[in-house]
Amino acid sequence: MATQLNPVVYGKAIQYQLTSIVAPVPVYAAFNRNFATQPKFITWMLRDVHQPVYTGQQQSNKGIDRPTFQISIFTQQIEDGFTISNQILQALHGYSGILGSPTEGFWIAKADVMWLYNSYNNEEKMAQVFLDCTIDIPA
Amino acid sequence: MALPNKVLPGFSAVLYAQPTASPTPLTTAQLSLVASVSPIAVSGNIIPVEAIPAFGQDDAVASFGVAGSRQSDKIPVQAAPTSMTITAAWNPADTNLLLMRADAASGVIDRTFVVSATDGTNIVYYAFNGRVGQFQIDSAPGAEAKCTFTIHPRGNQYGWSNNA
Repeated sequence: MATQLNPVVYGKAIQYQLTSIVAPVPVYAAFNRNFATQPKFITWMLRDVHQPVYTGQQQSNKGIDRPTFQISIFTQQIEDGFTISNQILQALHGYSGILGSPTEGFWIAKADVMWLYNSYNNEEKMAQVFLDCTIDIPA
Repeated sequence: MALPNKVLPGFSAVLYAQPTASPTPLTTAQLSLVASVSPIAVSGNIIPVEAIPAFGQDDAVASFGVAGSRQSDKIPVQAAPTSMTITAAWNPADTNLLLMRADAASGVIDRTFVVSATDGTNIVYYAFNGRVGQFQIDSAPGAEAKCTFTIHPRGNQYGWSNNA
């Protein structure tokens, strides 16, 4: 039997955790072109929030959640983006513990970060690095 | 605190081995006592396994079929603790993997092993005494070299406990 977890709580925890890792670089929950004037910033997007449901009529017969959030790093200097990506890897990859603030955060069994690729946007003159982070949450 | 009261991710589990080359394994009673088990479950005793294999008890039944009777019968008997085949990424200098290598070389060292699983606050422990065998290195290219070995538990020497 498992509790249905709340994505609002996920969002707050991700925002808090990323902010604490990369401060003073700003962290945003979605991309807005207006931010592109800043020399460095990161955005995140949550996806694949899903607890498997199991057989029978009892709603709570389900498993754990393993959602993924994508982290997009935007920097004017390519090296800055790689440096920020390293900060995130060092802090999050393999991490087990509280995700988010001490009051609103929750315990995760593991965070698994996949460094996807880097790129460059010539229109905005910004280098980009994309990472995926999957978290395992007891429920 | 009590037993974890949540569905746990597989990542929650950790395997620990009692330290030193000639350990004194816990008694059967101590294997169910959190005060005896939890001191083994510390970071210095972690075996760096990739994943915890199935743990618990084997199936054990005596099957009877009598000629001429309508149904056979499966009679449950006392089940032995399950042997665990462990795979770990191989670091030749890892202290605890070296302990496993030495145990396998000896073949007669009884050691207490502990599997813990936690929801972040509450912890459940499964402790058993066992001997190590079949210590092998698999250095197939395409991934890191793997160290595999099997822990064979001694009969009836296991117990469950939780932090309190």
